[in-house]
Amino acid sequence: MSNIKEILNKSSVFNSLGEDDIQRLEPLFEKREIHPGDIIAKAEDTAQFFFLLNKGTILLAMEEGRSVVLNTPGDFIGLELLSARGVYKTTMTVLENGSVFVVPRQDFLSVIQEDSSAAAVIMTSWQEYLDKTASFAKNIEDLSLPEHF
Amino acid sequence: MYGLEAINANNGWAISVVGVSIVFSGLVMLSLVISQLHKVLALWEDPSKIKALFKAKQSEDQSDKLQEKEIVDQAVFTESQKEVVRQFGLLIRTMEDHFSLPRLLHLAQISDLKNPHSNLNNLLETKIIIPDGSGFFTWEKETFDKAIL
Repeated sequence: MSNIKEILNKSSVFNSLGEDDIQRLEPLFEKREIHPGDIIAKAEDTAQFFFLLNKGTILLAMEEGRSVVLNTPGDFIGLELLSARGVYKTTMTVLENGSVFVVPRQDFLSVIQEDSSAAAVIMTSWQEYLDKTASFAKNIEDLSLPEHF
Repeated sequence: MYGLEAINANNGWAISVVGVSIVFSGLVMLSLVISQLHKVLALWEDPSKIKALFKAKQSEDQSDKLQEKEIVDQAVFTESQKEVVRQFGLLIRTMEDHFSLPRLLHLAQISDLKNPHSNLNNLLETKIIIPDGSGFFTWEKETFDKAIL
């Protein structure tokens, strides 16, 4: 699978969005190949991108030795799973060959801030996804302020 | 003795209530049967629906079995992979029961294990290492023994 539209429609975070919102998000994403051992985001670095997994396996190393392994196409790696106040708080290491779609963090947050209905859909799906994937990583800070991420 | 007096003397009121209840229950049952009759008639007219129902159940069972078989198949390692799996096992012995996956990866790297990222991914895929739901992971000794033997 390599088409960003297919992945957005498959992703549990984005598949509830309308066709218009999907079309608006599509051009923001850019595909990148990943290889075992690649570190695609490092804790403490400035958070520039969020990621949408297309293929492969990624290990997200968090604080206090905790981690989560993501290997399902459509897994979204962003918001509080990845960053806090514009700084990565997670180190992303590739375990298996594949590819990700990267989206500039600021562009993504702008979309959320501009379109309140799309933002509501994304944030609701995001909370459900986070509960299922890494409930221990949930951030209890004010979720209505995207700049927190 | 005639009229109401006779009814009272011979439990007439109770008998009539029981009679009314029986008739009413019968009518309710009959209406339920008639309301569902269209489903039976649909199956009568198109018996292939019955076959499709059984086939769906069978394919569900088959996909479950296939999934189990895939996991077992994945657990078949080459001799060199088995050696690396054993080495991971030795590293894990030095750690807590619920260990940190990034810490394990770090130990594998500094111990110069072969392809630590890909081999760690193999251990996750074959469910020798499984998440405990709180950000840490556990080593499944039974699955490990089966894969190594």
